[in-house]
Amino acid sequence: MNTGIKPKHQRLVLVVIALVALVGAGLLAAWALRSQASYFFVPSEMQAAPPPTGQAVRLGGMVEEGSLKTMQDGVTIAFIVGDGKARIPVRYAGIVPDLFVEGSGVVAEGRLEPDGTFVADTLLAKHDENYIPRELKDMTEAQARAAVAETQ
Amino acid sequence: MTGALWRIFLRDCALLVPGGRGGGSLLPLLFFLAVAMLYPFAVGPDAPLLARTGGGVVWVAALLAAILPLDRLIAPDLERGFFDQWALRGIAEEAVMAVRIVAHWLSFGPLLMLAALPAAALLGIDGSTLRTVELGLLAGTPGLAAIGVLIAALTASLRSGAALAGLLLIPLAVPILIFGAGSLSTGGESGLALTAAISLVLLAITPFAAGGAIRAARD
Amino acid sequence: MHGFANPTRFLKLARWLTPLLLGSGLVVAAIALAWGLFAVPPDRLMGDTVRILFIHVPAAWLGMGGWTAIAIASLVELVWRHPLATVAARAAAVPGAGFTAICLLTGSIWARPTWGTWWVWDGRLTSFLVLLFLYFAYIALAGAVERDGASSRIPAIFGLVGAVNVPIINRSVVWWNSLHQPPSITIGKSAIDPAFLWPLLAATIGFSLLFGGIVLARMRMLLADIQAEARLRRKAMEA
Repeated sequence: MNTGIKPKHQRLVLVVIALVALVGAGLLAAWALRSQASYFFVPSEMQAAPPPTGQAVRLGGMVEEGSLKTMQDGVTIAFIVGDGKARIPVRYAGIVPDLFVEGSGVVAEGRLEPDGTFVADTLLAKHDENYIPRELKDMTEAQARAAVAETQ
Repeated sequence: MTGALWRIFLRDCALLVPGGRGGGSLLPLLFFLAVAMLYPFAVGPDAPLLARTGGGVVWVAALLAAILPLDRLIAPDLERGFFDQWALRGIAEEAVMAVRIVAHWLSFGPLLMLAALPAAALLGIDGSTLRTVELGLLAGTPGLAAIGVLIAALTASLRSGAALAGLLLIPLAVPILIFGAGSLSTGGESGLALTAAISLVLLAITPFAAGGAIRAARD
Repeated sequence: MHGFANPTRFLKLARWLTPLLLGSGLVVAAIALAWGLFAVPPDRLMGDTVRILFIHVPAAWLGMGGWTAIAIASLVELVWRHPLATVAARAAAVPGAGFTAICLLTGSIWARPTWGTWWVWDGRLTSFLVLLFLYFAYIALAGAVERDGASSRIPAIFGLVGAVNVPIINRSVVWWNSLHQPPSITIGKSAIDPAFLWPLLAATIGFSLLFGGIVLARMRMLLADIQAEARLRRKAMEA
């Protein structure tokens, strides 16, 4: 039985359909990634669209300099997480990771309370991509960055 | 050509879709409902917990239901020499595979979306979550169908095909599961869009990958 | 094309190249790791835990590089049907899986003190775990194909399909807000201080030489198996 169209042309038609599907997938993915399917939310996202009270979410950002305080019970700590646009106060009771210091990145898992405070169950420290020896630590951050930039 | 492909499609549907002449199986559907029914017994009647985790259970059940009929998908036709026949008649393996993905999806996709309604009732999933689950299944099951056809084609000429299928499934299906189930918690619409994007990529690749595997298995 | 298909020339080359790569790889890797463990200053934030960098990062690169090698060999196999390509892809899968596992293990050990957790399901970590399962699936599939005497193009197709994951791993820290930091080293730019960068490069070279040596050794082994089997089959035919 003759089918009319050669297998080569059948494949060509399928290739065209597949390319259209791939372009569609790319557009969908680009749109989705812009609207962020993220591991965590940054403070400005969380303030723009607060999650329902009690829903488990992750908050990520920088621990603001000078905001870290230990409460009277000696276990609970309070600090402010900011992303340059918005700031959210965070409370946490427990052991903090080594890298958790003021001015460093942090991801907190927990819930947003009705009063706007984020109560964290877990704190994860987020390292930045810079690796600098301890001798250079006494320089300011800007100097250290410049030193790295010079040697590139 | 379109006529020949249409006849292949009708034959595939008759073989795969439940209620068809060839007696497609309701087993994946029953399996899916069994998981939805057994899960509350396993974790206990904690309604908020069930409602929170139910959507994810529906997804895992859908994934497993989609791969139940894998051994009937390609291997019997390969053994009986149908693919040689079609090749002689000038029908590309890629086209046969594209048709088979559609038939395989028809055999479980719409039914799973229907079965998700009673499953949602059993698990106590609320209306808006159910809507996300249904949309997610609509976006994700075509990709699962493509994965099924791909794995069935890759393992069709192997004796130990069934045992391998599970191992091949894990890395291929994890992305769909992550974004599909993720759309329930944090992802929302972007999770659905990413699920659909992965489905589209799988649908685009599979006819060629599975068709190549069939050609490789034939010689 | 069929002149190259004869593995004799390859075997002649591999006979002296294999010990050379393995030996030099061991020496360079040992020097680089000793350098990283004892001579490098501690990091400003992480202190001594930074030393795991010299295993973790090269292992990650080679884990991804291993699948890239499988994908290229698979393409060569599918397009030109070069018999060595199949053997090369199968040979690269085992060390690739090994380095991927090392990367995940060292990353987990590193994450515990620094991030404060052994494991998180973020984009980078998840896509790398998927890579490990791709390796497992590939090794099992190639093994079954070999046992059942099916076409070697079947694992090659799987190798190409799995290659979709490699760019996803690479871009995951850029696309998603991830707990894993963005890449420190991009084309023409490094955020790693030279005190860490040089031993890292040395470790990468050492590990890569080892990787190449293991691939060649495994290729020789697989080819010897194939030849032994062919000889047996010939004898069975004659008998």
